[in-house]
Amino acid sequence: MADLALPAPATARDAAVDRADKGPGRMRRIAAHLTEANVVVVTALSFFVGLCFGALLIIVTTPALLHLWGSIFSQSIGNFFPHLWYVIRFNAAAIWGNYLQLFTGSIFDPRSVWAAIQHPGNKSLWASALAPMSETLTYATPLILAGLGISIGFRTSLFNIGGAGQIIAGAIMATWVATSVSLPLYALLPLEMAAGILGGLVVAGFAGVLKAYSGAHEVITTMMLNKIMYYLLIYLLIHPPIQQPGSSDGRSKQIPAAGTLPHLLNWISPALRVNWGLVIALCAAVLVWWFMERGTAGFRFRVVGANPDAARTAGINSKHIIVLALCVSGALVGLAGMTQVSGVNGYMDSTFGGTIGFDAITVALLARNKPIGVVLGAILFGALVAGGHQMQAFAPGNLPIDYSLAQVIQAVIVFCVATPALIIEVFRLKDAGAFTSAVKTQGWA
Amino acid sequence: MKLELRGITKRFGSLVANKDVSLTVEPGEILCLLGENGAGKSTLMNVLFGMLTPDEGQILIDDQPVVIKDPRDAVSMGIGMVHQHFMLVPVFTVAENVVLGFEPMRPWPILDRKGADEEIRRVSAEFGLEVDPAATIEDIPIGMQQRVEILKALDRDAKILILDEPTAVLTPQEAEALFAIMRSLTAQGKSVVFITHKLKEVLAVADRITVMRLGEVVGTTTPAESDEESLATMMVGRDVNLVVEKQPAEVGKVVLRAEHLFAEDDRGLTAVNDVSLEVASGEILAVAGVQGNGQTELVDVLTGMRGSTSGRIELDGVDVSSANARAMLDRGVGHVPEDRQRHGLVLPMSIADNLVLDIQHKPPFSRFGLRNVKAIRDNGERQIESFDIRAQDGEVSVGTLSGGNQQKVIVARELSRELRLLICSQPTRGLDVGSIEYVHRQIVRMRDAGAAVIIVSSELDEVMALGDRIAVMFDGRITGVVPPTTSREMIGLMMAGATLEEVASGAHHG
Repeated sequence: MADLALPAPATARDAAVDRADKGPGRMRRIAAHLTEANVVVVTALSFFVGLCFGALLIIVTTPALLHLWGSIFSQSIGNFFPHLWYVIRFNAAAIWGNYLQLFTGSIFDPRSVWAAIQHPGNKSLWASALAPMSETLTYATPLILAGLGISIGFRTSLFNIGGAGQIIAGAIMATWVATSVSLPLYALLPLEMAAGILGGLVVAGFAGVLKAYSGAHEVITTMMLNKIMYYLLIYLLIHPPIQQPGSSDGRSKQIPAAGTLPHLLNWISPALRVNWGLVIALCAAVLVWWFMERGTAGFRFRVVGANPDAARTAGINSKHIIVLALCVSGALVGLAGMTQVSGVNGYMDSTFGGTIGFDAITVALLARNKPIGVVLGAILFGALVAGGHQMQAFAPGNLPIDYSLAQVIQAVIVFCVATPALIIEVFRLKDAGAFTSAVKTQGWA
Repeated sequence: MKLELRGITKRFGSLVANKDVSLTVEPGEILCLLGENGAGKSTLMNVLFGMLTPDEGQILIDDQPVVIKDPRDAVSMGIGMVHQHFMLVPVFTVAENVVLGFEPMRPWPILDRKGADEEIRRVSAEFGLEVDPAATIEDIPIGMQQRVEILKALDRDAKILILDEPTAVLTPQEAEALFAIMRSLTAQGKSVVFITHKLKEVLAVADRITVMRLGEVVGTTTPAESDEESLATMMVGRDVNLVVEKQPAEVGKVVLRAEHLFAEDDRGLTAVNDVSLEVASGEILAVAGVQGNGQTELVDVLTGMRGSTSGRIELDGVDVSSANARAMLDRGVGHVPEDRQRHGLVLPMSIADNLVLDIQHKPPFSRFGLRNVKAIRDNGERQIESFDIRAQDGEVSVGTLSGGNQQKVIVARELSRELRLLICSQPTRGLDVGSIEYVHRQIVRMRDAGAAVIIVSSELDEVMALGDRIAVMFDGRITGVVPPTTSREMIGLMMAGATLEEVASGAHHG
């Protein structure tokens, strides 16, 4: 699993090493890379730690497995080791079964893929072969957009924890536009996107203005705005024009077909939920990269983020930058709200946003604020959500495994990635200093 | 007590900070350890004081090999150290600071204050170190704080005292007083290791001089056998030009006129107190003064970084009293800030990016809001070449450069624009002799090109070498503006608060 998590950077890096050094020291160079603290190794090891912790949790919370461990002490001396071996095998099988579900539920199930390949014309077989990936990417889509937004804040040294509120703001605006104007798809969707962007932008921008001109800390203001936006949503869900007429259980009007992001794989099966929101998110990732690395404004964001004093000396107005950066941050998060309601839910209720706003912070952290990292991190999170659901649905035997296990694993991984010093210490990695200092300055060296 | 270091080698990764260093400190002598920043003086002393473990080599006290594991070991063996940055608790009294860690108790855990006070009086009388045991550290001047540090070491029975760049924070008079203390210590059989990079002081106070360069001892000599030139040559490894070569100033029109400026520091206290000054095109005004007398705030006000509470600033006849930093930069004010790492550079970013930090939004570096990466890179290559910045290429992050090269990046950035006024704050702080020479030449070049230049420096040598006129600051005021031919003593007195009239009439001597 660890190797499957981030295959692209690992192979790319090794390939680079190959090219750089073709002599007999090549293998040693690769070995050196694997024992030094770099992003791939630390992420992989974090994954490993997360899975180990999850395994431990499975054992401890499953009475049947725990009982088995207890039974090893009531064995006769001669039977001790054979019995111990049996217990270990049984435990391993149980854990393996769970993790297999995690995998087949989020990436693919080899059996259904094989079946689909044997009958290339059978669309329903293909639908079930692609379903896990589709689910993973569906969950990843809003996380990519919101994660990009949060990461822009981080790179400017702004801790935007108002993702939840900004998603709601974006979704409210998008829902309102989609349900109140009647336009064809190609006109309505862009309008909806603009509305979603505007919603998030206004909420985050407000926090930015407060910070720049009154010194109110963005952590406090964005957190409070989360609360305000949440209760605003609750209010709107039972009042016109958002409320679904005739419904009193707190849901919005249904977004019409013309305002719904089409599914990408509709031609295979309408059940594959991955939609054009993914394309929007990937485009946004490219745009964010381009903006931050090539744009003059993005450069100023980074200068203010890395050294506000030097920015001031160089005549950069950090107040403007703070407002602007939070606006851009909120705009992307608001867009995530739009893709969620327009592409997945189709309407708003009080829980439509789930924990996207907070998971996005973790994704940005995991990604060290690099757009490519955000995409990969969001997909990882999406996979854990999709796989976690599968694990819960198909827990082997009568083991009481549920979705929260996936969340625990997720949390442990993030914990490890966020504290590389711990991983470096535990696994005795060589730390050239570049890694930890890169984490402090929020960017890869 | 005789101290000997034999073949000390200390490596940090691939960097060799000390390479086979051997030196001896005889009882009752002042040994000067001379070397540029980064020559390995501090590393060596940290090895001696037990803060670093040497990779190779031996330390011998009275010809017996010893192992010094930590500073507590060093103290118990009679080694005392006064760090460049004092290790005092500002809100504690002198007595409390001196006994900290070795407090006399009556019975535990009650501190024996009276006993502590008496102990301090005894030790300070013994060595002629005047201090008030009851004074609070934050209320006494820097020179006095340093005396407390020395007292702290003596109270722990130091037989060898290491002073790490002790004069950096002192006025010339305070430095003289320190030298007197050093001599009285050696008269009583103690030894002093005096670390510095200032040649004049070395010649004034040393019994023997050991010179270090690039982690190695390059030679040992005495003041009688050497002079400033020969020491500088040993220190740098080549002939150096200690005097800044410059033609007499060709003074043009007044560029900057400041009238009755007042400004507050970050705590809201008046830091700039009724300062008026004028600088004309083609001249260098050097502002002298001990650190913390309002120079920082004055520079902040003049560069638009800090608002003045009252007063008027004119640049080329235009009122710029309320202009911000951006506006001042756009009007041709170049600013080399005091703290280069905090205010001058973005350390994780590349040299090329730092070289355009204050012009990043202008063509050719930016077009239609997009960075022109090629122009930025080309500019980086060009400046690295013409300002002799020692780096692999422009993509290296500035944080990996040495202090001298970091300063060159800032100087290159500021001097590569068309400037009306150049303001340099502590332009050569922490730089090696070679870099100092270079930065000075560039500043003079700017002056000769017609810019008005203000230099703020706490190094008297620099002020006297560069200034066409010297303004002395004390306690937020300018105590006088004098020509560079004025004696060091007179400037020293003005740095301590005497006005020009008092100094001229000799009234302050009493």
